[in-house]
Amino acid sequence: MIRILTLAWIVWLEMIRRKDIYVLLILLAAFLVALMALNLFGLDRAVSYLKEIGLLLAWLCAWILAVSISTRQLPQEERQGTIFTLLAKPVGRAEILLGKWLGAWIVTSAAALVFYVLLALILALRGGGFGGMVLAQAWLLHLGLLAVITALGIAFSTRLNADASAVLTYVVTLAAWLFLPRVPDLVLTARGAAQTGLMVIYYALPHLELFDLRRRLVYGWPPAPDAAVLWALCYGLLMTAVFLMLGWLAYRNKRFTRGAML
Amino acid sequence: MSNAIDIQDLVVEFPGARGGTVRALQGLSLSVARGQVYGFLGPNGAGKTTTMNVLLGFIQASAGVARLFDEDVRQTIARRRIGYLPEHPDTYKFLTGRELLLMAGRLFGLPRAARNARAAELLALVGLETAGDRRLATYSRGMLQRIGLAQALVNDPDLVILDEPASGFDPLGRIRIREIIAALRARGKTVFFSSHELSEVERICDRVGILAAGRLVAEGRVAELVKAGGPAVAGGPAVAGGPAVAGENLEQYFIRMVT
Repeated sequence: MIRILTLAWIVWLEMIRRKDIYVLLILLAAFLVALMALNLFGLDRAVSYLKEIGLLLAWLCAWILAVSISTRQLPQEERQGTIFTLLAKPVGRAEILLGKWLGAWIVTSAAALVFYVLLALILALRGGGFGGMVLAQAWLLHLGLLAVITALGIAFSTRLNADASAVLTYVVTLAAWLFLPRVPDLVLTARGAAQTGLMVIYYALPHLELFDLRRRLVYGWPPAPDAAVLWALCYGLLMTAVFLMLGWLAYRNKRFTRGAML
Repeated sequence: MSNAIDIQDLVVEFPGARGGTVRALQGLSLSVARGQVYGFLGPNGAGKTTTMNVLLGFIQASAGVARLFDEDVRQTIARRRIGYLPEHPDTYKFLTGRELLLMAGRLFGLPRAARNARAAELLALVGLETAGDRRLATYSRGMLQRIGLAQALVNDPDLVILDEPASGFDPLGRIRIREIIAALRARGKTVFFSSHELSEVERICDRVGILAAGRLVAEGRVAELVKAGGPAVAGGPAVAGGPAVAGENLEQYFIRMVT
């Protein structure tokens, strides 16, 4: 376990010493401050509007961070050659995978927390706010979502370079987000192989919509039932484990060679 | 007592450019006893790096067995007692030298107090005490080579594998490397290293193995090899390069073996 935590610590140190995260934070803050200055629909409506746009931005920033951080971890180790000093130590490949995923997840989760706090502060300045319980549930589910996305990014990056992995992760998560909730309607009208194919896609891709409580936050609805939140978290854990397992299968016998093979 | 390194009939194949198979190692067998300084020599493309890649678990052999202290190299535990310095030690540039050593210590499971003490000791050993808290991004190539050596020694390894250890050093650094290798030998540690610096090898190695085209073509004590042309590896392939020449040095012997 100490080796996994050490690798996660390296990811954390790298992120806080790089500028990506701070750029996103500053961009988000600047957008929110600009939005706060607007009063399009009267005072009351503007707070809902601010919540909706603010949450969307926080989600977008966390999504971009999760994909960019997770997909570059393993390819970067290979490109820089640090994988060789790592593999020469008693560190298993499964531990490398888990350490990298854990680091990426912790960094993006911490960033998501900062995004939420920033948004709550700006809303408070405007006289609005979130329900405490719903906010806690939303953040918890957002962590589940980020766990799935980072695991998917890590899995792709075991065999692809950082750019290809990032593009694939963006495409798959976007498809899961936009297309998957509509699949049941399509299944009803499809026939034969198309129907089977749609069913396979429906169960294979992660259902990211399960982790979304933004409407409850925006419209001030009551908290979701605890059991539903728990089930969604269990589902996130399962999908994370599945993606990490697939990544490990692809990574465990991968050949790493310094320079020429000979 | 088991050897530090045992390699038997090692074959490594990989896909060739035209769909065929290329054999990087062709049934390599080699043993390195504990406490020896062993020079692993060969021209470029002979298979030295491939052998090291197998020993360190970077790639898996197509056939044959490789063991470190009786542990199969495919097992993670086999790397518990080794230290490795690559030819170009690539490091996490955002870390400081001390953080890199602490990280390496954690990966070997050293307790906190031992990690801190070891990091300070190694920084002093490689002459980086004053630069230990600087980011690695600000280090020169020689300094990176030295911190690379320090991280290879963090677990006080019984076997140190060095890939072209002198390549990044200035003359003073090379002397320091030689002193460190001598100190390791004095403490009963095994050092296995590849090098193209044959005068360096002649000076510090107990034994050498010469690899050509994926096969071991000569193996033995340096003095024995160069004396009267020396023995080629027992049961190995016929050695091209002409008859034995008495009184030649290691460089001349090496050229005769691999050409």
